[in-house]
Amino acid sequence: MRFTIDGLPVYFPYDKIYPEQYAYMSDLKKALDAEGHCLLEMPSGTGKTVSLLSLIVAYQMYYPEKRKLIYCSRTVPEIEKTLAELQILIEYRKSHGVEESFLGIGLTSRKNLCLHPTVSQQKWGKVVDAKCRNLTASWVRDKSKVDTSIELCNFYETLEQYDPSEILMDGVYTLEDLRIFGKEKDICPYYLARRMIPFANVVIYSYHYLLDPKVAELVSKEMSRDCIVVFDEAHNIDNVCIESLSIDITKPNLDASARSVAKLSEKIDEFKAKDSARLKDEYTKLLEGLKAAKEAKDEDTFMANPVLPDDLLTEAVPGNIRKAEHFVAFLRRFIEYLKTRMRIQHVVAETPISFLQHLRELTFIEERPLRFCSQRLTSLIRTLELSDLDEYYALHKVAAFATLVATYANGFLLILEPFENETVPNPILHYACLDASIAIKPVFERFKTVVITSGTLSPLDMYPKMLSFQTVVQESYSMTLTRNCFLPLVITRGSDQVAISSKFEVRNDPAVVRNFGQILVEFSKIVPDGIVAFFPSYLYMESIVAMWNDMGILNEAWKHKLIFVETPDAAETSLALENYRTACDNGRGAILLSVARGKVSEGIDFDHNYGRAVIMFGVPYQYTENRILKARLEFLRENYRIRENDFLTFDAMRHAAQCVGRVLRGKTDYGLMIFADKRFGRTDKRNKLPKWINQYITETATNLSTDMALVIAKKFLRSMAQPFDDQRGVSLWTLEDIVAKQRGTAHLSNNFGGRIIQ
Amino acid sequence: MSKQHKQAEEYIDIDDEIQTTAQQTGYAWEEEYKRSWDVLQEDEDGSLKRTVENLQHRMKRKKLFRDTSTIRRGIIRHIFLIIDLSEAMMEKDLRPSRLELTLSYAEQFILEYFDQNPISQLGIIVTRGGIAEKLTDLTGNPMDNIRVLKNKKNTDTDGEPSLQNSLEMARSTLIHVPAHGSREILIIMGSLTTCDPGDIYDTIDSLVKENIRVSVVGLAAEVQICKHMCKKTKGIYGVVLNEVHFKDLLFEIIPPPPVSVAQSKAELVIMGFPSSVTDSMPSLCACHSKPTTNGYICARCNSKICDLPTDCPVCELTLVSSPHLARSYHHLFPIDNFVEVPWNSAFTTHCFSCQMPFPNATTSLLGTRVVTETSGRYKCNKCNQHFCIDCDVFVHEVIHNCPGCLATTLSIK
Repeated sequence: MRFTIDGLPVYFPYDKIYPEQYAYMSDLKKALDAEGHCLLEMPSGTGKTVSLLSLIVAYQMYYPEKRKLIYCSRTVPEIEKTLAELQILIEYRKSHGVEESFLGIGLTSRKNLCLHPTVSQQKWGKVVDAKCRNLTASWVRDKSKVDTSIELCNFYETLEQYDPSEILMDGVYTLEDLRIFGKEKDICPYYLARRMIPFANVVIYSYHYLLDPKVAELVSKEMSRDCIVVFDEAHNIDNVCIESLSIDITKPNLDASARSVAKLSEKIDEFKAKDSARLKDEYTKLLEGLKAAKEAKDEDTFMANPVLPDDLLTEAVPGNIRKAEHFVAFLRRFIEYLKTRMRIQHVVAETPISFLQHLRELTFIEERPLRFCSQRLTSLIRTLELSDLDEYYALHKVAAFATLVATYANGFLLILEPFENETVPNPILHYACLDASIAIKPVFERFKTVVITSGTLSPLDMYPKMLSFQTVVQESYSMTLTRNCFLPLVITRGSDQVAISSKFEVRNDPAVVRNFGQILVEFSKIVPDGIVAFFPSYLYMESIVAMWNDMGILNEAWKHKLIFVETPDAAETSLALENYRTACDNGRGAILLSVARGKVSEGIDFDHNYGRAVIMFGVPYQYTENRILKARLEFLRENYRIRENDFLTFDAMRHAAQCVGRVLRGKTDYGLMIFADKRFGRTDKRNKLPKWINQYITETATNLSTDMALVIAKKFLRSMAQPFDDQRGVSLWTLEDIVAKQRGTAHLSNNFGGRIIQ
Repeated sequence: MSKQHKQAEEYIDIDDEIQTTAQQTGYAWEEEYKRSWDVLQEDEDGSLKRTVENLQHRMKRKKLFRDTSTIRRGIIRHIFLIIDLSEAMMEKDLRPSRLELTLSYAEQFILEYFDQNPISQLGIIVTRGGIAEKLTDLTGNPMDNIRVLKNKKNTDTDGEPSLQNSLEMARSTLIHVPAHGSREILIIMGSLTTCDPGDIYDTIDSLVKENIRVSVVGLAAEVQICKHMCKKTKGIYGVVLNEVHFKDLLFEIIPPPPVSVAQSKAELVIMGFPSSVTDSMPSLCACHSKPTTNGYICARCNSKICDLPTDCPVCELTLVSSPHLARSYHHLFPIDNFVEVPWNSAFTTHCFSCQMPFPNATTSLLGTRVVTETSGRYKCNKCNQHFCIDCDVFVHEVIHNCPGCLATTLSIK
């Protein structure tokens, strides 16, 4: 249907629209108009993606600026789903007579797109990348002009012959379409997609292409300032930011780097003997400074790189690492230093400043050359025309560490842990980023509008604080329902009136474990098809399942449903999931035991019969003895005034919400959400749940014993099974409803001069 | 250093028990249980009669609406009643228990079924412990079916039910049913799981191919496989809310289902109309080999049969009596639903058929109108006569003829 929002004509590819979708679009438009950032929380399964796309595409096409949309998603299947949604939207617009040229593409790693017969057979992404570079790097291709025996990639060569602007036709290409297109024309889909980015109206890729400095450097640097950036499913964005700047270095890493350095110096000697001009050339280039080297490109078009802040670009590389052999010696010294540090027998936590000081005292390595380490290494590798880059992976890591440690005095912490599990010696150097805002800062600075959206962002003011940005629109939408299709229940006690909790002191108490088991068994009796149960951690799940086995609880549950368990192994888990779904389909019924923060809790939907109930055993707090977490909590308290308790509760509740949100994927779906822990009964915990869940927690349901919860759940399941059709007008709007609503609000705003959307 | 850590640990203690002690007093849900008698309103005389009547009225009315379009329906029906006898049937969430209630409703269902569909047949299969057991084959005799259900040995519960086994068992019999008869399966299912030897989707596909309609009444919650199966085979799937709703759902199966155009090939069926005999001396009947004085004589082979309708045990002729056929006939031409008469056109004073007085419009305008929001009159659209709710129900459920229409046609004659 077609309607207007504040004068902007929007094409929406369905006949009906949910009221919250309309509200979402209106708020999004306000944010775009104001050219500011926004934070929007919308219930899962209410068509967030399609509303987002249809509004932004309408916006792009209506206004002459044609602001590009960069849409970041978490996983490849999600990217594919979004692209398919976009395809439907564009087709709909075309079928309604909109004449426009539009290009939408998705980008993913080489591993998913490669067509080369041997390279694409590789299992590891890193190996595929390296093999691809061996076939497509500019020096390899230069050499092959002289020496025809050198193998090149056919697909890449054909692509080179085309002019980038003329290859792809208009339209939306899913990743699969891109592969098919590539196969037909013998073109490499990966490089094709990368080259098409400047021409595309919508680009969809993973978070890392924007947040991970190493990747962003290659892919996202040239995006213009007025792009609209969207982070979907962004409830974990702070963790992604932190991970992208954190580095773990192990002993084997250091050994590998030492080997790489040795190889580098060999190469340099070789080069000196036959082609010293190149090294000299590089030297002069470095002398002019990195900025000069890049001046050919317009400096304003680059997004700042957190690993290499802007002020570094203006300086020249310091003299003591300018010469290749000097730099190699420098690296060797640095690696040796790290090795000695690794020999320590106790845990050390220190700030970058103290680390640098110690480093200077021992090895006379200054801060400034360290800062250039990463850049200098890249330059050297390019000069030496090295292939098989995956061998230098460890060395790159060390160099990136060197750069980071010298660049940021705040927001990071070095932690040296000599032992794994207190006993096994396996020294690891964690260079932990504590400040999520560092990685995302360039994004907020660079782009006018950044949209952060997800099903679970409550409490909303936490994200602007943690990521230090300001929003123009910040909204959480409730869910309009004609029937209450999900039922949150908080079970605080077992049938025997023992309070249940996953609190550390009582979590292994047999009474608590038995009551948890009782909940599982009783619900497996009354809930049809699938039940998903979440535990706070793998460790806890294992201990509980073992105890249940001893108590005979598992045998009891087996009578009613099959039991599947999520494991850290992805292949095993996907097999378990497949069987779980089969059991749900053919009426056998199944229970899936899984872990909050695990793979199942994040990316997998349990719609309809695949999840009629979610049981959350305990509050999914993080493991608070973790040193990195402790450091982060301290940092948050000191810098952002977020109390430890607040953050931990916030984090636990967003994961709990994420888990229970798995069960509801649309308004025709229904399911039970069971929170089994007495701590969920407290208002300070519940207030941190998203509004759309909180809204349906009734006062009665906040403090239940198992038997009472069962009675309520039974009644709920019976009433949900009754036929149900009409949701029009209330939770589903037709075009007339929208017009009526607009007339009504126009009337309202005339009277009160208030906000347009109430 | 370690001291610092310790401090941090203390600070991060993530649980505190401030609120929980205050909450020990009781559960919040206890508040929600209201005294149901507070809800009832007395009228100005202090009597509850009006309110109760009103509630009953509304309930009766709700029951009445049904599809009255004249479509082809298969009035010769063959139905297998599959009863789940798994452990789940011992639950007491329906009073007195799921099993007891199911058995008593099944008995009522069988009687009503044969009453409304006299020339149809019914068989019973039970499933427990992962296997299916056929209690009775397809038969036209309600008493045979009821007798097996009364036998306690046949109604013991055990283990899990098997949908697939019982469906296959019903199917193997139903495929031999001639094309003019409908093939149906009705499952009463208390369990939420099924224990199947193979892929149940294959069974469902073959059911679809054989034109067998499967309807399910679930006693607990919606199970995906049942929903899928009913949708595929064009049956009805219902989940009970309470005891009354259970009966409603079960009795929804009693009117014969419409026949799809594809399977409704017009066909002639041989039937015998036996004559009733009363002898002074008892003679042996052909069906039970017992001496009886009353009976029917088969129109073809002259053997004596006790009950109608049935198949002749000797020559296998379908034996019915003409009132049976006539009784099935009303399903094909149901009388229209009566429409409610609004207050402004409620001029009649008495029900056309029972002559009971209607509530008076004038008194109701004075103040008691809140109590009876309807005029209590229901109009037949053909003859324009007004009826009271009880007659409305009686006309539609029992006599299947409108007294008003009959009276006018008689007077015209």
